[in-house]
Amino acid sequence: MTDMDRRGFVKAGLAVLAGSALGPGVTLFQAFAEDGRESSKTRWGMVIDTNKCSEKCTECVSACRTENNVPLFGEPKYDGHWIRKAAVTPDVEGAKSMSLPLLCNHCEHPPCQHVCPTAATFTRHDGIVMIDKHRCIGCRYCMIACPYKARTFVFKSTEEWPNKDVPKRSKGVVEKCHFCAHRLDKGQIPACVEACTKSGDGAMIFGNLKDPQSDISKYIRENAPRGLREDFGLKPKVLYKGV
Amino acid sequence: MEKIRYSAIKGDSNGYLALLGALGVLSLGGFWAAWTMFTDGHSVTGMTNAVPWGFPIVVAIYLIGLSAGSLVISALSSVFGKKEFKVFSRIAALLAALLLVGALMAIILDWGRPERILVPFFSMNPRSMFSLNGMLYSAYIVICFVYLWAMFEEREKLVKALGLLAVFWAVLVHSGTGAIFGFVGARELLHSPLLPPSFIAAALSSGTALMIIVLHFSFKWAGRTLDEALLRQLGRYLMVFLIVVAYFIFIENVTRSYWPANYEAQKFLLLSGNKYSLIFWVGMVGCGVAFPFVILVNRFTGGSLKWILWASALVVGGVLAERYIIVIPAQVMPVEIFPGMKVVSDFQDGSVADYSISLVEAMFGAGIVSFVFLLYALALKFFELMPENVEESRER
Repeated sequence: MTDMDRRGFVKAGLAVLAGSALGPGVTLFQAFAEDGRESSKTRWGMVIDTNKCSEKCTECVSACRTENNVPLFGEPKYDGHWIRKAAVTPDVEGAKSMSLPLLCNHCEHPPCQHVCPTAATFTRHDGIVMIDKHRCIGCRYCMIACPYKARTFVFKSTEEWPNKDVPKRSKGVVEKCHFCAHRLDKGQIPACVEACTKSGDGAMIFGNLKDPQSDISKYIRENAPRGLREDFGLKPKVLYKGV
Repeated sequence: MEKIRYSAIKGDSNGYLALLGALGVLSLGGFWAAWTMFTDGHSVTGMTNAVPWGFPIVVAIYLIGLSAGSLVISALSSVFGKKEFKVFSRIAALLAALLLVGALMAIILDWGRPERILVPFFSMNPRSMFSLNGMLYSAYIVICFVYLWAMFEEREKLVKALGLLAVFWAVLVHSGTGAIFGFVGARELLHSPLLPPSFIAAALSSGTALMIIVLHFSFKWAGRTLDEALLRQLGRYLMVFLIVVAYFIFIENVTRSYWPANYEAQKFLLLSGNKYSLIFWVGMVGCGVAFPFVILVNRFTGGSLKWILWASALVVGGVLAERYIIVIPAQVMPVEIFPGMKVVSDFQDGSVADYSISLVEAMFGAGIVSFVFLLYALALKFFELMPENVEESRER
């Protein structure tokens, strides 16, 4: 048995094992694109211009909920959040508050991935930090380790599954934003960015950080946006202008 | 030198059966709670997206500590040359193994998907403290049982070697457990190189205290004589361990309180008068260290078995509070995504979260602990664990 064969065999075994734990009709998530779009030549990143992002607008949040079926249970402590709007105010008398979305920062050194006991959290070649929901045991260590609170746990079962392009939600595992990897693999942009550009404030710039000619690379060169809590050294790939 | 004779207890008294019944009922309650968490989801617990680790994790690390402490008591004779404690070795080693079995059960049944129990064996992440600890814990249980087997076979050299390995492994297991928390850089109340060693210190204090209680009542209820001087000696060890625990609590909190960035978190934990500071001062510092220390250091109470038992009970309770203080407040305090700025969001960013132990979680914790002691009580009936002739063997 060659090395590749053995690995394939183990993987297949794992898939059977994971599959046996799933309900019927649940498809495995396509973690890697088949057409090679997901490659190390790409490094997906996002910039948010907080000067453009207004408090009233929540287009990105709604679009994400629709695209990824992110559930609201009517109880804030259990609601899923892949992207959320926050109002941030400097601690200065009469200071104006900024509005901005918070989401997974897809760190170059993701602490969630470091602590994951089953390697269910992994980084794709294009830099997207993803969760293999079939390998996640629901220990929630990643939620403790993430300094951005980017992860939520599925506390309850939900049968709602409006958008069939994404897998059905499974109780007892952790989930988070994956930059709409399923859309990127089809050549589309993330749902939040599309919504922000089309009907929102146009505050999001998304693109390939490794391509010096991409809009995002040009913007970063000219405006020097910064990551959140850069002191942690995680090298987040979601950057903010004006924080 | 007379050899120590071990024998199984009769286990046919009404008291024994009642004890089994009570522990059995509580264990069933715990399994029901675990099943409810599995079928209904973690919404039946007090956990939320802000506080994803609740009482089951507190219980798990508590049991791990008790286990390491018990093991050290077991190894007193074989490794540290305190021959008079040999009478306890078997009981303590068994309890060390069972407590860790309980800890593993608490961890696994707390997973969102406990049915994926085999996944961690096939898909490991050597960088994860959880993954490493899984290996350490599994090996530790095996080592404890082999060590116990060697004692049954009375292979002295092997017992000594395995005892040494087990103590070394207990230190590893405990450092590793501390590292699960201490290595988290994202939470200011967790990130600390002191957590691994202070976990060991609390393990020694709580483990010794538990052994004092368990030994006393096991012998008493089994109607066998126990040399009280041995328990008094354990009481003196406990006093020393308490000093070490106090030192770690002191140094950790003084260090953190000194740096302005931590003012808010430390004020919240130590001075706010909420339930967390109450549990910190009354539970962790008071019951876990101060009150029992006063009892043990006093010449009158420190020599009285009754008082030593009370001091031990306080420590056993106080260290549970200490484990709670490690796990919960660090999550309740908001993560600082924007230091120095005020943050408001639909996801409770920037605000202090709340956590209360739900009934299901309390039943879960009580059930796991009861199950450990149910197995212990049954083991005493079926295996030759308890010495018959403690007094004689000591007089030699």
